[in-house]
Amino acid sequence: MNYGPLIFLAAFFALSSSWFGLVLGPQLQVGRLQQTTTIPDGATYPLARPGLAHQGLDVYRANGCASCHTEQVRQTRTVCDIVLAEAGTNQTKMIAALQSARPGLSEADATRLLASLPKPVLEGVTREVGDHAYNVLGAAGAKVEMWIIPVGPDIARGWGKRRSVAEDFLYDYPVMPGSVRLGPDLANVGVRLADPNWQLIHLYAPRLEVKNSPMPPYRYLFEKRRIERMPSPDALKHPELNVEPGFEIVPKPEAKALVAYLGSLRAGEPIYETPLTVPATPAPGTNAPAAASAAATNTAPTNVPAK
Amino acid sequence: MSVDTNQPTTAEATPKALRESVPVWLVILFFVLLYCAMVYFDQHGGWFNERVYSPYTRIEDLEKWQPPKGGDDLYALGKLVYNKPTCVTCHQNDGNGTPGQFPPLAGSDWVSEAEPGRLIRIVLNGLQGSITVNGKSYNGTMVPWKDQLSDKEVAAVLTYVRGNKDWGNKFPPVKPEQVAAVRAKVKDRAPAFTPDELMKLSPSE
Repeated sequence: MNYGPLIFLAAFFALSSSWFGLVLGPQLQVGRLQQTTTIPDGATYPLARPGLAHQGLDVYRANGCASCHTEQVRQTRTVCDIVLAEAGTNQTKMIAALQSARPGLSEADATRLLASLPKPVLEGVTREVGDHAYNVLGAAGAKVEMWIIPVGPDIARGWGKRRSVAEDFLYDYPVMPGSVRLGPDLANVGVRLADPNWQLIHLYAPRLEVKNSPMPPYRYLFEKRRIERMPSPDALKHPELNVEPGFEIVPKPEAKALVAYLGSLRAGEPIYETPLTVPATPAPGTNAPAAASAAATNTAPTNVPAK
Repeated sequence: MSVDTNQPTTAEATPKALRESVPVWLVILFFVLLYCAMVYFDQHGGWFNERVYSPYTRIEDLEKWQPPKGGDDLYALGKLVYNKPTCVTCHQNDGNGTPGQFPPLAGSDWVSEAEPGRLIRIVLNGLQGSITVNGKSYNGTMVPWKDQLSDKEVAAVLTYVRGNKDWGNKFPPVKPEQVAAVRAKVKDRAPAFTPDELMKLSPSE
């Protein structure tokens, strides 16, 4: 019996269905993504990477950075905080509103809360509870702020403020989200580690900046050369960097481009897909960049570049 | 010539393709797995909406989590209009303008007027000629926004400029009705206003 046509049809069906599902489907979904605006400021997002940073993408690709670093922050849920900025004039009404917003709050506690504003009324609640408190307190004449706070293990490590979305990669070709995390996530590294000198030293000798870092040094992105007349303004400066007298370590253009690319990784603006409120002043005791957990996971560098 | 004794010699011994029905338990297992997959898909798929990412499960969920609009809608809209970019191109993000060319909006004596009549005219028809703001002279040209901005948008952007605490401005808001009234008066006028002409008008007109 001739099974040829049947085998052909089965193979054709298998291949075409995977093409529809894996190529055509995503293309129809996000293929026409364009710049969007941030919420609620209306600023354009994302901005194209500057020229040097765009070259850095190729250096990032060529050196296989994506095989140990990801560029995608995960988020498990979203919570909201209600902060009372200014109380209304009517004290009795305020206390009643506070008790409605936070059932079980005693009158003495409410009075104490009102005495030291601004203060969080509710922390880490669902949107329904938050909305109720926001409306009740607002109706009592108080000035209330609602903070939308994404929560997740990566966010707790201080790797970003919100989850990564397709929009963040709009100007990247190819997109290198990575899948293995031998090093920390880099989606937001331009904000987290903004100092380019720190990045250069870290590329040249990772362990000078991060103790016990498993990252290999990328010395071939730098040049060791004799100082002629004047030392170069680009030369690496670090107290523990031992260079022979009369010589200096100067980053090659590739290193500068890579650092510019890392500096341009700033995913974290609030957009429609990932709502979030960025407080003008850090919240008292909420959503603090988890310094403690960052210290606990040895892959996460500290926020402050070591000098 | 030797005979290969391993080869079957009779026709009965050759293997044949037979039909065997699929076991019932396998069919049941298949449907159970399919059901679980569909439940998972329902919970995590976002219903094919490309704007929905986990942990949000559907667009209504995402809509629910958008930050509250706040009480002052006109002010928020004004911020959007200002940065569209319209005003921000010349008057800058900090409202300080460009020395000698584009006057500041932050702390400006023109912006602080109680009645916004002159301001609305400037925004609608533009401004031409030398203007003195806070004692300093500026000589730039402002384009008319009549055709680009609606009454509500003009009112919003003026409310934003006049009420922007970051710039030190604490002046009363502008209502869309006020803009509509002025727009009706300057309907037939094409050229930009000059500062002298504006000074002759009463601000409440």
